[in-house]
Amino acid sequence: MEEYPEEFRSPPVRLVALVGCPEQHGLISTHFLSQQPPINTLALPHFSKLSLLLHRSSKSSSSSSAAGILKRDWLVKHRTKIPAVVGALFLWDHVSGDPAQWVQVCSDLDELKAAIRPRNIKLLLLVVVGQSDEISEDRLLALRKRAEVDSKYLLLFNPDPSQLNNSLQRLGASFAELATTFYRDEGRRIKAPIEKKNLSSLDLQVRYCFKVAVYAEFRRDWVEALRFYEDAYHALREMVATSTRLPPIQRLLEIRTVAEHLHFKISTLLLHGGKLIEAVTWFRQHIVSYKNLVGPPKVIFLHWEWLSRQFLVFAELLDSSSATLQSVSSLPLGTVEQPLTEWEFHPAYYYQSAAQHLEEKRSSLELAVSISEAFNDNDDGSAESVVQSIYIGQFARLLEQGDDLAMQFLTDDEYTLYAIAEGKRFQDSFEIIALLKKSHEMYTNLKVQRMGSLCAFQIGREYFSLGDFGNAKQLFDGVANLYRQEGWVTLLWEVLGYLRECSRKQGAVKEFVEFSLEMAALPISTIGSIQTSKCGPGGPASLEQRDMIHTEIFALVSGEARPISLDGTDDLKDNTLHLEIDLVSPLRSVLLASVAFHEQIIKSGVSSLITLSLLAQLPLSIEIDQLEVQFNQFECNFIIMNAKKCPLEAVPSEQHDHRVESAPSLALVPNKWLRLTYDIKSEQSGKLECLSVIAKMGPHFTICCRAESPASMDDLPLWKFEDRVETFPTKDPALSFSGQKATQVEEPDPQVDVTLGASGPALVGERFLVPVTIASRDHTIYAGEMKINLVDVRGGGLFSPRESEPFSMDSHHVELLGIVGPEGEDESQRGPDKIKKIQQSFGLVSVPFLNIGESWSCKLEIMWHRPKPVMLFVSLGYSPNSNELNAQKVNVHKTLRIEGKNAVLISQHFMLPFRRDSLLLSRIKPVSDSSKFVSLPLHETTVLVVSAKNCSEVTLQLLSMAIEVDDDGIEKSWSIQHGGEDLGTAVLVPGEEFKKVFTVIPQVDSSKLRLGMVHLKWKRHCGIEDRSGLTVTDAHVLTKHELPDVHVELSPIVVSLDCPPYAILGDPFVFCVKIRNQKELLQEVKFSLADSQSFVLTGSHSDTVFVLPKSEHVLYYKVVPLASGLQQLPRISLTSVRYSARFQPSSAASTVFIFPSKPHCKMAGITDQGLESIIAD
Amino acid sequence: MASTACFIIVSRNDIPIYEAEVGSAAKREDAAQLHQFILHAALDIVQDLAWTTSAMFLKAIDRFNDLVVSVYVTAGHTRFMLLHDSRNDDGIKSFFQEVHELYIKILLNPLYLPGSRVTSSHFDTKVRALARKYL
Repeated sequence: MEEYPEEFRSPPVRLVALVGCPEQHGLISTHFLSQQPPINTLALPHFSKLSLLLHRSSKSSSSSSAAGILKRDWLVKHRTKIPAVVGALFLWDHVSGDPAQWVQVCSDLDELKAAIRPRNIKLLLLVVVGQSDEISEDRLLALRKRAEVDSKYLLLFNPDPSQLNNSLQRLGASFAELATTFYRDEGRRIKAPIEKKNLSSLDLQVRYCFKVAVYAEFRRDWVEALRFYEDAYHALREMVATSTRLPPIQRLLEIRTVAEHLHFKISTLLLHGGKLIEAVTWFRQHIVSYKNLVGPPKVIFLHWEWLSRQFLVFAELLDSSSATLQSVSSLPLGTVEQPLTEWEFHPAYYYQSAAQHLEEKRSSLELAVSISEAFNDNDDGSAESVVQSIYIGQFARLLEQGDDLAMQFLTDDEYTLYAIAEGKRFQDSFEIIALLKKSHEMYTNLKVQRMGSLCAFQIGREYFSLGDFGNAKQLFDGVANLYRQEGWVTLLWEVLGYLRECSRKQGAVKEFVEFSLEMAALPISTIGSIQTSKCGPGGPASLEQRDMIHTEIFALVSGEARPISLDGTDDLKDNTLHLEIDLVSPLRSVLLASVAFHEQIIKSGVSSLITLSLLAQLPLSIEIDQLEVQFNQFECNFIIMNAKKCPLEAVPSEQHDHRVESAPSLALVPNKWLRLTYDIKSEQSGKLECLSVIAKMGPHFTICCRAESPASMDDLPLWKFEDRVETFPTKDPALSFSGQKATQVEEPDPQVDVTLGASGPALVGERFLVPVTIASRDHTIYAGEMKINLVDVRGGGLFSPRESEPFSMDSHHVELLGIVGPEGEDESQRGPDKIKKIQQSFGLVSVPFLNIGESWSCKLEIMWHRPKPVMLFVSLGYSPNSNELNAQKVNVHKTLRIEGKNAVLISQHFMLPFRRDSLLLSRIKPVSDSSKFVSLPLHETTVLVVSAKNCSEVTLQLLSMAIEVDDDGIEKSWSIQHGGEDLGTAVLVPGEEFKKVFTVIPQVDSSKLRLGMVHLKWKRHCGIEDRSGLTVTDAHVLTKHELPDVHVELSPIVVSLDCPPYAILGDPFVFCVKIRNQKELLQEVKFSLADSQSFVLTGSHSDTVFVLPKSEHVLYYKVVPLASGLQQLPRISLTSVRYSARFQPSSAASTVFIFPSKPHCKMAGITDQGLESIIAD
Repeated sequence: MASTACFIIVSRNDIPIYEAEVGSAAKREDAAQLHQFILHAALDIVQDLAWTTSAMFLKAIDRFNDLVVSVYVTAGHTRFMLLHDSRNDDGIKSFFQEVHELYIKILLNPLYLPGSRVTSSHFDTKVRALARKYL
């Protein structure tokens, strides 16, 4: 775009001229420039200057019809020299002054009119008036007449600041109007012959159309401008075949150049109007219509150069245009016949195309240069003094004839020489690179990777041809990555070929070898591949070429031959060449190492098998001299020698610190796994992993290949989809799917026994002892350490909050209390370094040094708070060797499940005294609150029976049982009938129950009375064999049982039956019912007596009695028993009216035994005594 | 028949699985190696365009000098790309459709691993015959 003259690149600006009164010009021209649209001003101080400016050269007009299409300076003339309007400024003083001044004004005016008339330039009169001037209409009229202008084009200009703005506004409007009129008139004038179609030649038609369009542009009439530019363009296209004015080459050149200018104008206008699609379509048509106008072969390069420039200019226009397409998706894809592709809307596409055409130009230029040199019979000066002629797209020879300069037309041959000489001056490569870089950058910004890499490839190729290998390599590297990733093998081959040449030229041996190997290992398919003779420096992508590269490289690395001169390859002799192949390297297909251990776990010191498999995709088989296998455990490394090349005896001595194996052959056949299986033995436990396999070929060449597990090995990315026989890396297919390059080396078997000698279940509350014995068989024990863990059988901790039991101090249901050392060992004898750490479920104790055959034991004290089974884990860790600090620890684990059980189950129940019933209201009318508790009558004796049942499997010895009360100040009273000494011999066999009776007399009326805890002391019954020392300590165990709370209330009525303990058949006795009112109110009691068939009785059957407060009413009955045996007395039932409560003594209480006759044994005394005591109570 | 035509099948993971020069004209030496580069670069547009239309035949999607890239995308997102200089849209469409059928037959072969290189010589012969017929 830069090569076009300025007047073409920007839209034309209207031009006016000011004459006279130079002091006002600055003001006016500044104002005109700031107008919208702006107006350029030619300021001429004097009237005579104008005629000079407008002087028309006579000779150009005479020859204009034939010499060319467009004059080079026509546009610039109209933009800078020929004004549309001339504004003549006169001072009012001069106009209104004396006759001499008026004559001067008139003559100036006449001169002016004479100058502007031929060009139809419009005239505008400006009279500069001062503030104080008196304006006389007569003089103004006279002036107007003289100048022959319309009255509105005579303006008064007042430079006074107050009036200046107004004047300027008016001035601007008038000038703009007149200018528009001028350009329209000019346009019309030129348009007339076009419309009449009476133009003599196409040249003129093009020229007239162009002029009309330019005038339209002056008027900012873009539509008309566009139309006439297009007309001009089409007319020009028609000239191609018809015009005969110039010799063919130059004729074509002129047409192309003019077309280029016209096209530039059209594209600018289209893009300016935001018509992107039209612009692109137009451009394509432009290219299509001129593409075939190649011209004679000698100057083809001009054609390519021209095409390239079209693309470049359009790219620049698109780039700078604001009318960019917002998004690709909204793309209207052209018409049906000529669909536009997405790229045609991006400047990047045009930059790229421009570069391609420039490449074409370069090659054809080279051809032309070589031809011209071959026929170099011309004089050298022929290309000199050739300049551009006055017409666009024409060249002429400048001839000096004395002072005169004359133009001489060139012949085609002369012009060709000139063009070739010009073409040689330019470095096209840099231009191409710059264009491609721009395109690449744009594609990259658009995130269009593949187009971007195509550009990058082209740039790289350009750099390569320039010999800038560093830059080229960098670009090729990026491109190669993409093609590797996407698997476009043919393209990758091409790029790698360049890379290989770059590194060869740079003397980078390692890279050269790498690229060569990668190329050799590419899966070039043999069928359907594109065979071209002219391809990259890598040669055609074929199997033969792969073979060739392979041979070349291996000849190089083996030092046998230097195939092609590599700069600076001498160092290969001295230094070794070392290649690293990791998991992502493209060289994986060159050498792939897979390592599989046959066992996932191996014992330390026991030998196992390892399979090493190598695969190469090179076209020919290769021979490896030596393989070194490296592990993370240094001692396991070993070396495999090729027996053919290097017998075992010839191994250098410094390698003898590793194991050296020998293999009969280490030849790698293409696409076939080389499998080697060897023993491996590790002394050290832990992970054993194969890190890498180093293959050595020739004296200086090594490839270090990262080892891969067959199970997790990725396919070779490029070979994955190739048509080839797939084989397994190992002989055993299962190993290929599961084999790992790492294995776990186990620690040696422990030679120490750990015995846990516990017997039977543990009982809750006791200190249960678990003896632990450590006996060494074959290992001495150094730095032994025993860990003890108690774990819930169901998993989880021993402390279980999910059981909704009340939180107590002994939150751990099972607790490790301590560790008791062996007999005779004192705490003080332990060294300070001996560890002993006890927590509730975890213990750690150090084990002293034990020699082989010795043993050591201790006891673990464990207490159960709840019945619960637990697992006891004991693990002993020790090192069999004394000296090494970080020596391998050997671990022994033992577990034991121990049940925890309750020893005794304590229960209780309450009883009332015989034949004495209290009316307890809560018992009759149970209230929801008190129903939970047992109700006891106040101040009455109640019997409490506590029973303890042995629910364990061992015999227990009970020591004592008592009720302990928390001393919280509640009045209480109970007596213990049986002392603790009675329990000394109470031995409970499993399942047996022990009972003890207490008497309770509540003293306090309370709805909730705590009775206290039953404390039962017991221990395991030793029996005959004394095992107590083994399992339990001697100490007794205290089991507590909380008695339930009771409800105490005053009973209003107490009924007691009074009757002899026995009776004799037919012998009458008195049976009385005492009703005692304990309240301080009168009680009305109804009673009724049910007859019994065993007795005859006297007394009232039913009645209502009133019992006085705190007194007793006695009902007497005399009864005669009629039957013997245990008989039911007549039953009485009472109803307290006040409480509407009815109750009846229990049937057991109203039973008596009837003897058939008076018994003969002497028991009367005892019975009487017993009777007495009951009654006395 | 077109003077230049380079046909290529690109699998769904962007790897070319079949390629053939099916033009009748004598190969232009410098251009032939460029064909694959052009086709590869055109993949960028295909991946944008393939989702904007439900048609399989995407017509001409890229232009390189006078060469045009036409693309046909199968349901499995395998792309048939043809670089050509003829303007025969209907013929290209028919060519693609017939090649699609051939490709489906290849896919039906239980020994063919989808996404791997098409090496069947029968397929190759048929494709070249189709090119002679339609292009």
